[in-house]
Amino acid sequence: MGQLLRDIFSFGDRPVIERVILVVFAAIVLAFPWLVESAYARAVMIKFLLFALFALGWNLIGGYGGQVDLGQAKNVGFGAYATALMIVHLKTPFWLTVPVGMFFATLESFAVAYPMFRLRRHYFAIATLCVALVWKELFIFWDWTGGARGVELPIKPTPNFTYMEFGAIGYHYFIFGLFMAQFLFMNWFTKSKLGYQLQAVRDNEDAAASLGINVTGTKVIAYCITAALGAMGGSFMSVYYLYIDPDLVMPLDLSILIAMTVMVGGAGSIWGPMIGAAALIPLDMYLGAWLAGGGYYGIDFIIYGFIIMIIAAYEPRGIWGLIQRMSKKG
Amino acid sequence: MELATQLVTYGILMGCVFAFVALGLSLIFGVMDIVNFAHGEFLMVGMYVAFLISSYLPLDPLVSLPFAAALGFILGIFSYRLLITHILRGPMVAQLFGTFGLMLFLRYLVMFIFGPDVRTLSHGVLVGKQISVGWVSLDASKVMAAGLCLLFFAFVFWMINRTKLGRALRATSLDAEAARYMGIDTEKMNALAWGIGGATVGIAGGLLAHFYYITPTVGMLFVLIAFATVALGGFGSVPGAFLAGIIIGLIQVLGGHYLSELKFTFIYIAYFLTVVLRPRGLFGW
Repeated sequence: MGQLLRDIFSFGDRPVIERVILVVFAAIVLAFPWLVESAYARAVMIKFLLFALFALGWNLIGGYGGQVDLGQAKNVGFGAYATALMIVHLKTPFWLTVPVGMFFATLESFAVAYPMFRLRRHYFAIATLCVALVWKELFIFWDWTGGARGVELPIKPTPNFTYMEFGAIGYHYFIFGLFMAQFLFMNWFTKSKLGYQLQAVRDNEDAAASLGINVTGTKVIAYCITAALGAMGGSFMSVYYLYIDPDLVMPLDLSILIAMTVMVGGAGSIWGPMIGAAALIPLDMYLGAWLAGGGYYGIDFIIYGFIIMIIAAYEPRGIWGLIQRMSKKG
Repeated sequence: MELATQLVTYGILMGCVFAFVALGLSLIFGVMDIVNFAHGEFLMVGMYVAFLISSYLPLDPLVSLPFAAALGFILGIFSYRLLITHILRGPMVAQLFGTFGLMLFLRYLVMFIFGPDVRTLSHGVLVGKQISVGWVSLDASKVMAAGLCLLFFAFVFWMINRTKLGRALRATSLDAEAARYMGIDTEKMNALAWGIGGATVGIAGGLLAHFYYITPTVGMLFVLIAFATVALGGFGSVPGAFLAGIIIGLIQVLGGHYLSELKFTFIYIAYFLTVVLRPRGLFGW
């Protein structure tokens, strides 16, 4: 138990500095709704935390596993739809729908993982993308999912903990709680046996196999955990937006944005997802929204694309890699 | 029977276009083992060239083809020189994301300049015309597009197999190091593969614009179709890409007729099944 706690709260390279940063970050986020009045800024903060959450989950397979999965949106969709459909049709409390969504995401990922992990490199990335698109088109095609019209959740007049509906401040603490739980889980995961095995597989599959690691098995389990983590964020999206459709929760752009967030921040580091989300989400919410108001669309993605190209060409380890490089020099 | 004939004919016509779109992707992959996610965006740029030339100049959209090819060629060379040479040094993830960034950059640059509106070609010799062959009536623009794609496909195939330049290209693709020892400038060959890839897909875009709606986001769909085509044909195999293009065209047109909401789903499933069940495709090694 003591060892478990130590693993959860300890950091690798600079334990003290990183722990201080985490505490400062948590304090800022906790105080945020009391410091900032603007409803828009609060929405930006919630979206930042949501994408940091998604990125944390994706970092498991993409960063620590080194597998470029471009289909995380399908898992977000499973979580979102499980929550929305169960609340609407069965009046199930929110907290019971979350494990159901995670279960289905895991089940589906397990089913496709074995054939998928016979593939490598580009073939794998494109296959994940195709599977996610097939699911999105099926969710539009089917009637029981509400088709392209989507699902509308009943709106509760008062704050409600059974269905997790409340004002912006409530959602803020809710998503922050989910984020911290996942952050600490990931921090533990990197030091777990599976975490080390996964990183060994990423760095050299043949060497890992020669040490007795089940390469495919490790990847499959990592892929399934990533799916479950994505579904958790999807469930939050359902009760936060109170309306979901395949274009909101399962689009290709969402898969890409999640993966990009991790790449920009720094894949395979615990801080990368947060840094990436902090770099990309405010850019989109302020600059993109501001220019779209003037009839100029897409400037945020032009900048995203540019950043991605620069990072891919000069610092594939992302902003975290830059920070490390500079702190080593200094 | 009439309907079936028409559908199969359209399937084959679309297949010729898909095969031509996939050709450039296959070429680039063959020469330097990198997948170009921005391939569909090159196509989209070709479509916009056709749209701009026919809307703002008193010219037929067919006249735009050389310009689309030239712009595609330049775009390919620039992408290679400015981006690809740098990301080739990095890990595979960086290579994937690099062309991904290029894709986003081009797509949203076009959206920024021309807006997100869906456009179509309003005039042109072939736009909206029908021709009758036997008892089927076909869109003239599709017949023309398929015919020209077939012609250019044959031309590139001839160039790769019969000319000195093409042999150098193939040598680079088989073993870049050995090719360098033989005095082949492999850097130039890589750039050339990107140039040809851009030019061919630019032409395809100019032809597609005749009957397909033009939006900045159209590229993703075609790059996925091209991936499916190249995977089915076998990466690096030009005749494979052609046959696979026809098969994908038939899947798309027939599927689209009987289950229109799912017409692209079948293509994604075709990709998935191909790479899982027969990773080397129909003709790959």
